[in-house]
Amino acid sequence: MDTIRFEKVSKVYQVGDHEQKALDGVDLAIEGGKFVVILGPSGAGKSTLLNLLGGLDSPTSGKISIEGQDISKLSNDELADYRAKTVGFVFQSYNLIPTLTVFENVSLVKEITDNPLPTKDMLKDVGLLDHLDKFPSELSGGEQQRVSIARALAKNPKILLCDEPTGALDSETGAMVLKTLLAMARNYNKTIIIVTHNQNIAKMADEIIRVKSGRIREIIRQEKPLSVEEVDW
Amino acid sequence: MMFKKLLRTIRRYKAQFISMIIMVLLGVGVFVGFQGEWYSIDKDTDYFYDLTGFADCRIVSETGYSEEDLGKIKALYGVEKAALYISVNTNESRENDVVSVTVTNDPEVSGFMVTEGAEYDPEAKESFWMSDMYAAANEYKIGDKLSLKYGAYTIEGTIKGLIKSSEYLICTPGENQMMPDYKTYGYVYITPEMLKETLGDEFYTEIHVITDIDKETFSEAANKALEKTNMILGKDEIPSYSEAKGEATEGKTMASILPVVFLGIAILIMVTTMQRLTINEKTQIGTLKALGFRDSRITRHYAMFGLLIGVTGAVLGIGFGYFVAWFIFNPGGSMGTYFDLPSWKIHMPWWTFLIVAAVVAFMALISYLSVKKILKGNAAEALKPYTPKAMKRLKIEDTKGWRKLRFATKWNLRDLFRHKARSFMTLFGVFGCTVLLIASFLMMDSMVGFVNKFYYGSMNYETEILLDDSVKGEKALEIANAYSGDTLANSMVSLGGEAVALSVYDVTHDNIRFLDEDMNYAVLGDEGVYLGMRLVESNGLKVGDTFKVAVFGTDTTYEFKLAGVLRTLSKGVVMSAAYAEKAGVSTRVNAIYTDTSYDEVKSDERFKNEISSIKNRGDIIKSFDSFMEVMYLMIGALIAFSIILGIVVLYNLGVMSYFERYRELSTLKVVGFRDRRIGKLLIAQNMWLTVAGYILGVPAGIVITNVLTKALASEYEMKVILGWSTIVVPVILVFGVSLLVSLLIAKKNKKINMVEALKVPE
Repeated sequence: MDTIRFEKVSKVYQVGDHEQKALDGVDLAIEGGKFVVILGPSGAGKSTLLNLLGGLDSPTSGKISIEGQDISKLSNDELADYRAKTVGFVFQSYNLIPTLTVFENVSLVKEITDNPLPTKDMLKDVGLLDHLDKFPSELSGGEQQRVSIARALAKNPKILLCDEPTGALDSETGAMVLKTLLAMARNYNKTIIIVTHNQNIAKMADEIIRVKSGRIREIIRQEKPLSVEEVDW
Repeated sequence: MMFKKLLRTIRRYKAQFISMIIMVLLGVGVFVGFQGEWYSIDKDTDYFYDLTGFADCRIVSETGYSEEDLGKIKALYGVEKAALYISVNTNESRENDVVSVTVTNDPEVSGFMVTEGAEYDPEAKESFWMSDMYAAANEYKIGDKLSLKYGAYTIEGTIKGLIKSSEYLICTPGENQMMPDYKTYGYVYITPEMLKETLGDEFYTEIHVITDIDKETFSEAANKALEKTNMILGKDEIPSYSEAKGEATEGKTMASILPVVFLGIAILIMVTTMQRLTINEKTQIGTLKALGFRDSRITRHYAMFGLLIGVTGAVLGIGFGYFVAWFIFNPGGSMGTYFDLPSWKIHMPWWTFLIVAAVVAFMALISYLSVKKILKGNAAEALKPYTPKAMKRLKIEDTKGWRKLRFATKWNLRDLFRHKARSFMTLFGVFGCTVLLIASFLMMDSMVGFVNKFYYGSMNYETEILLDDSVKGEKALEIANAYSGDTLANSMVSLGGEAVALSVYDVTHDNIRFLDEDMNYAVLGDEGVYLGMRLVESNGLKVGDTFKVAVFGTDTTYEFKLAGVLRTLSKGVVMSAAYAEKAGVSTRVNAIYTDTSYDEVKSDERFKNEISSIKNRGDIIKSFDSFMEVMYLMIGALIAFSIILGIVVLYNLGVMSYFERYRELSTLKVVGFRDRRIGKLLIAQNMWLTVAGYILGVPAGIVITNVLTKALASEYEMKVILGWSTIVVPVILVFGVSLLVSLLIAKKNKKINMVEALKVPE
């Protein structure tokens, strides 16, 4: 069964006096438990796609449904609950709360979800059990991103949305972060959608969606995706 | 081009710009307004005193003075002008009001100015020059007939002119009445010729003198010239001078404390806002530097922000200040019922403008220094966006309880310490607002408490009966017994060179009570005398000490033992009749205080010739209400400005805090926190600061009120009283303002653009 479904989804932004079409009648279906990479140049509409899917923004027209639930019609509070329970985010710039420690940044999600995963287990999985009491500013970029992954997964969401998760990291650290991300996502059986410019990441995906000028140009299903180690970083 | 950038930056930060301008406007406005109030009283009264020849010294004797005596005084070194003078209270025939008939034999000394009608004519007979305020209140016009009764004499004539005299600047019939009531009390001037015609002879009880010499030197010379000890009063002992100047001093004291606190808060908040604004502009500043703009050009450009806000706020503030001064000091307001002044111009001390200019310069300097700090390094460094200090572990995190705290508490606590300056300023804003409100309400409670206790407790009578000068001991007692009254025998004595009232009370019906230092009602004992706090202070006395007073016009002196200290309205020596007898003080009863109603006494024919006037306590209290109005006005204005300042300060800092945490708030929202939940976080932090600011502000407000009360001690013997309004209203106002502002800011959560949170910072 399709977990995620876009039906004729358009998003138009008003920029000054003119309208800018970020998405133009997108139809899309993503199966649950898959690792999907959305590729495309800057301004193609891939981040808009992710934002709409994450409930950060609403479509101008069309319908987005997650496991049959139409999220384009949800109220503000319902959207907040959707973000809290259904999706987890990993940002390029980590977006950790600077005044909370590593442990607190992850356990923060207990405040909003009914079924969180144990904080320490998450931090153990990302290899940061020794840094529980450190503040984000005391960690390296890679470590911060791993905290971000732990936080996203601690909510026990159905879908993990990642926007250029390795964009701010060097290739070696980026590879390590991706390895962690994929291992954890598969371990906990999550759907992962990554938005990136990086063609190498796409080699590991079950499905590649190419976006250009607000439209889906191509969907490639890979029978044998590469592992992190097999990709030439 | 840079000017265009300046205008666009202003537009970008319009909320901060407007709030900063409002802060300067309020700070400067309240400061300027309160300075203008006391200075205008000072200047406008001085103008009036000069215009009508207000006497510097008055030589007083019941036996009177002759032309020969006047000649001796005029011949003294340093005497500029002198005149024979008399003023007696008469009964007006139409309304039975009390009207003071005044005569000066030189209109340039203790004279008047004509506001309507004929100029003064020294030869005129059967002519009155009447107080224009009394005429207006009683519908007297020029040309109307007037008939006044003074004992067996009737003074009749036509009103020739309407006037104002600085002798009656505060036109009250006695010391118990704080505010004029022109409906029941007024004054007229007549010529010496008319006095002569009425009495058959000229008789003057005072010599009024205009001189530059101090009272002590003049008294010595005058007593020598007149060959006896005279009661000589300096102008400081005349209510029309002392109370007006006291009002100016009171205003000056208030102006030197509360508005300065006000201005201080505004400046400090301005400094923080200005620094934050410059930080927000850091990348732009860096870009200009990278483009090749010289540091001096960039600093000049940014200093213009501070200068522009400062100048705009100061100009508006000065205008607002003039309005505040006018609002308090205008003929149509409460002050207009207190003072009878011909000129109500608003004057401003020159140094007020200097201080305002310094505030403006300071603000430009702050902008300059903030930019200078950013420009310190090279262009690359300047280009980097501002990052707040990295979070460090707090000491309280090592405590056992820390781990048990909820995430929101931890988050807010760490945020407070991370942004110390902003947190401190918010705390300071609440603190300042609390201090101003507590001080304002405490002052009001204390004054209302004191005056209430005095008017509704000490004056425990219905009617005050003033006896004619001719009434002697036995008769006075007969009248007192007839009305079951307590008696007062009042005379003037000199204590430490100051003319003060010597009041002997025979209290047998609890109609008069006295307030001790603790504001409790005291009973006068017969082991000594009681002094008001001011006299005790100025004469360096303590209970148990003995001191001497001299009786004017005689060589008699009395030695008294100080038995207790009282809180009084007027300065005086108070004793019981029993002690007076013991100390051999000869007295003549001149007032009786009774529970018998005003109407009953008035309609009683038995003592018609012995009673000179009757006063209803209600009328005296009415004047107290008018007095309280003046105070309510000033304190009300301060309260209103404090609330506005509180709102502006908290909103400004709240918005600043909101934008600084925007990314964190966005993250919380993206993670799945509801708007209300995030709002609670923001409100909680503001509430903590409000609680802390309030807790610190209450004692500081009490301290300031105590300082203010001490500074006003020469005016009122007031005790700081914590009333319900001080306990209840400021807490509601401070927390109400804080909650209102927090809700307004929390409302912004709905508009958080979460997509922005996903973006990498520029």
